[in-house]
Amino acid sequence: MELLVLVWRNLTARLTRSLFTWLGIAVATASMVLFLSFGEGLRQALAAEMGNMGPQIRVVAQGTDAFSPPLPELPPEMLGQIEALAPALGIQRIIPAVVMFRGGFDPATSFLFYGLPEGADPRDFYPPAKAAAGRIDPHPDGAVVGAKKAELNHLTLGKPLRLSREVTVPVVGVLEPAGSMVDSFIFVPMKTLQEVLGTKNYGVFLLQLDPTADVEEVARKLEAAIPGIDAQSTTEALKFAERALRIGDLIRFGISLVALVVGGLLVANTVMMSVYERTREFGVMRAIGARRRFIFGLVLSEALFLALAGGVAGVIAGVAGSALINTYTQQAVGLALSAVTPRLALFSMGVALVLGLVAGLLPARNASRIPVTEALGRI
Amino acid sequence: MLRAEGLTKRYRQGEVEITALDDFSYDFPPGVTAVVGPSGSGKTTLLNLLAGFDRPTAGTVELAGMRIDDLGEDERASVRLKNAGFVFQSWNLLPTLTALENVAFPLLLAGVARAERNRRARELLERVGLAGRADHRPNQLSGGEQQRVAIARALALEPAVLFADEPTGNLDSAAGAKVLDLLLEHAAGERRLVLVTHDLQVAARAARVLHLRDGRLVQVEDRG
Ligand SMILES: Nc1ncnc2c1ncn2[C@@H]1O[C@H](COP(=O)(O)OP(=O)(O)OP(=O)(O)O)[C@@H](O)[C@H]1O
Ligand SMILES: [Mg+2]
Repeated sequence: MELLVLVWRNLTARLTRSLFTWLGIAVATASMVLFLSFGEGLRQALAAEMGNMGPQIRVVAQGTDAFSPPLPELPPEMLGQIEALAPALGIQRIIPAVVMFRGGFDPATSFLFYGLPEGADPRDFYPPAKAAAGRIDPHPDGAVVGAKKAELNHLTLGKPLRLSREVTVPVVGVLEPAGSMVDSFIFVPMKTLQEVLGTKNYGVFLLQLDPTADVEEVARKLEAAIPGIDAQSTTEALKFAERALRIGDLIRFGISLVALVVGGLLVANTVMMSVYERTREFGVMRAIGARRRFIFGLVLSEALFLALAGGVAGVIAGVAGSALINTYTQQAVGLALSAVTPRLALFSMGVALVLGLVAGLLPARNASRIPVTEALGRI
Repeated sequence: MLRAEGLTKRYRQGEVEITALDDFSYDFPPGVTAVVGPSGSGKTTLLNLLAGFDRPTAGTVELAGMRIDDLGEDERASVRLKNAGFVFQSWNLLPTLTALENVAFPLLLAGVARAERNRRARELLERVGLAGRADHRPNQLSGGEQQRVAIARALALEPAVLFADEPTGNLDSAAGAKVLDLLLEHAAGERRLVLVTHDLQVAARAARVLHLRDGRLVQVEDRG
């Protein structure tokens, strides 16, 4: 407590310098928080997407990766093949679907259509989905539009939605915002979409499993039984995504390390200068009877205090920055891509503290080792 | 008690060896002992050794019944805290602390609780006539006032020995006289005051005057 008063007095006695150092650490910490918040945001978004669906398998044509829209390459007879295997493998429901992506460079000109069979609706993709207006079911020939997509393209009930030159369907439902990818989807009847694409094929089968089934095992058995398919389990996709995210985290941490090192050098410089200027002061303290540990603790506390204050400010700034990024990504892709989770905040504070510790150790050691007579002799 | 035996300090400067203090022996009686001598004669060196700021090349120092010449840094610091007080020529005070906090500082080191610390520090400031300056920073005090705060601080833990190195060196005669009076007043009884000065008028107020020349004790003047 008393040590803190001494620390505070000294830092405020050199206010401008302390403020700049504090700002430097805050900026370094905030940049790290922001960089790493992307990984956390993606993780949360993914977990929300996948976690809502229970054990599931996505069957697509071989060579389709987990994150791009599948082409209609699965022949109609494949549905029968899977249906035949279903009882033995614990597959409870099979939803065939067709996907059509019409790309543009910005979200307003990109369209992702999901063709659903009769009896299926957006809740099969995102169970909490609810209609904000109209129906949730696109059948027999309408479109149900995700909240973000509806807002972006001003799609309201009854408006026509053109799928191709010949085919146009009316908007029959608009979904409530879900904070999920579903926000950007457009659901239409599968027949309509197949007609547009000129195919009888399917793009994807979504398989819902018995909750006790071993998802990865079922996926392996399916692939063995039916050549030419990829059976992607949600857990597998999550694992794959987690690996990619880890690598991303490492790279982002590496980049923010530059800012952190600069921040650390700032603290070291501030504390070192302040130690040099206060040599006589330390001499007086030692003359009166302060032990070397006291001086060491005093100087180290200054570095730690600066780092802690900078770290707190940095995390707060990071949270604010993350919110700002999210308002943008919510608009653009309908997802909160950045998240400052408690563990990220804690980790960043930890890094800031370690920074202060490392930056403070050498000056603290120097300060506590100056011989008393030398310290007293220097003014 | 304060006693030195065969106290010697040599500094090596490259090839040359300087004997700053040469075989100094003296048993300081209670009361005021002045140390005088020309510049470079070893006065500050002697004080540094007696106070345990530095370790002698040879010889022994006993302070408050303890040999301190062979103690480590931190042990000497502990002995100093409880048994010795200091007033230097200038720049005695911690610049970011108020007068009151400066006086309370040794009490803080000694682990005295806050309320008690402030009570005693206030009392000490009163004794040196600076009760009205408790919340001033050193740079808001005159040189004489600063020295008086330093005296109050030196007395905080009721030390057996007071050391003063040219305490009036930077002051005009009026302020100097006041500081000197305070120091002498508090060296009464069993307490010892070692007063380094080259001002003979100051030395004249001491009971004994030690004359140093080239690091040697050349004369002990007992004025009774
Ligand atoms: N750290 C040191 N290294 C080398 N020589 C030193 C050191 N400290 C003191 N000396 C030398 O020791 C001698 C005695 O110095 P000291 O400071 O004790 O003199 P002094 O009597 O206090 O002088 P003054 O009246 O000027 O303060 C001087 O010749 C000085 O140069
Ligand atoms: Mg001197």
